[in-house]
Amino acid sequence: MSIFEYNGSAVVAMVGKNCFAIASDRRLGVNLQTIATDFQRIHKIHPKLYIGLSGLATDVQTLSQKLAFRHKLYVLREERDMRPETFASLVSALLYEKRFGPYLCMPVIAGLGDDNVPFICTMDCLGAKELAKDFVVSGTASESLYGACESMFKADMEPDELFETISQALLASVDRDCLSGWGGHVLLVTPTEVHEKTLKGRMD
Amino acid sequence: MMRIDTSGLDPFAPFTSASGDVCGDVLSVPSFELPRTTDFDGFQKKSVQMVKPAKGTTTLAFIFKDRVIVAADSRASMGRYICAKYVFHFGILTGTMIAGWDETGPGLYYVDSEGGRLKGKRFSVGSGSPYAYGVLDDGYRYNMSVEEAGELGRRAIYHATFRDAASGGVASVYHVGPNGWQKLSGDDVGDLHYKYYPVIAAPVEQEMSEAPSA
Repeated sequence: MSIFEYNGSAVVAMVGKNCFAIASDRRLGVNLQTIATDFQRIHKIHPKLYIGLSGLATDVQTLSQKLAFRHKLYVLREERDMRPETFASLVSALLYEKRFGPYLCMPVIAGLGDDNVPFICTMDCLGAKELAKDFVVSGTASESLYGACESMFKADMEPDELFETISQALLASVDRDCLSGWGGHVLLVTPTEVHEKTLKGRMD
Repeated sequence: MMRIDTSGLDPFAPFTSASGDVCGDVLSVPSFELPRTTDFDGFQKKSVQMVKPAKGTTTLAFIFKDRVIVAADSRASMGRYICAKYVFHFGILTGTMIAGWDETGPGLYYVDSEGGRLKGKRFSVGSGSPYAYGVLDDGYRYNMSVEEAGELGRRAIYHATFRDAASGGVASVYHVGPNGWQKLSGDDVGDLHYKYYPVIAAPVEQEMSEAPSA
């Protein structure tokens, strides 16, 4: 097992009509043993920007704390929240700084940009950014997630349908992965509100 | 062609090997061919790994009051990929645990791939076995009814599927008695979780409602 599979994770983000959804599993494991079923992988940067981190759990926590710190400094200096595109470049630069001893995390960034246009992107642990118009996935269940999202995704979904789609895609994918699952956590963000829901999944 | 001499394993072979004509003896001595390889040790290691039984599972069996309960999960995993959600783990009767009934009463044996053999009253085998042992050892009593024993086996397998990533699917429980074997239950562990730990609706303290638009 590689170090990316040590804790187990699954993160996915999808774009809808003037909204986006980001979801993750809730398992924290140590190889095959499940330690916790309420591990938080998605962190809020500001009300319209979220980052989901898959990979080694200790780096997930460290990186989210570092990024929260950097964003707070930005807000103090610029007196406004960061745009998602800018934040993605920040994460990419932060990861590449550790090129030869990287943070073992694969982030998924999702936010609403200027004029509330949804923005999603993912990167590898060295900061290679990849923008997408439909969905991005990350984690030990990523291959299953690609398959599920590819078949279930439709463009321009309304918030309710997007929530349903991302939840089904996540639960179906983690049910084929030993190392992720044990529940799900979904955030649906529109220009006016944020819906946060916990999914009831298979606990095996 | 290299051959390995297995006459040491034959109990009826003579103690001293016949000396003299080497060519004739090579053909008569019990042996088998060795594969043509430059790294025999590496080849042997890989062969053993290939036939090693899949340990990513949980199975258990225990004897109580003249009967045997056998229970197992149903997950088959290749590394971290679940290749089969529902596999009939009846292989436990021929692979690692042998449970049965004869004129001496209930019998339970543990056999492993290294040739170890143990007779006992409680066994659990597989990657989820430590978790199953925890529940099994705590709840075990010799004087249990068949229903209680079945429930103990089911709960032990469920707890193993919760904690062990390589176990899951369906918890099958069988009972072996003087009249043969009988399947007691086959419950999906996903449903068992919410049966043992139901989700209680959290009381809503404050609820925001839409403000009437003026």
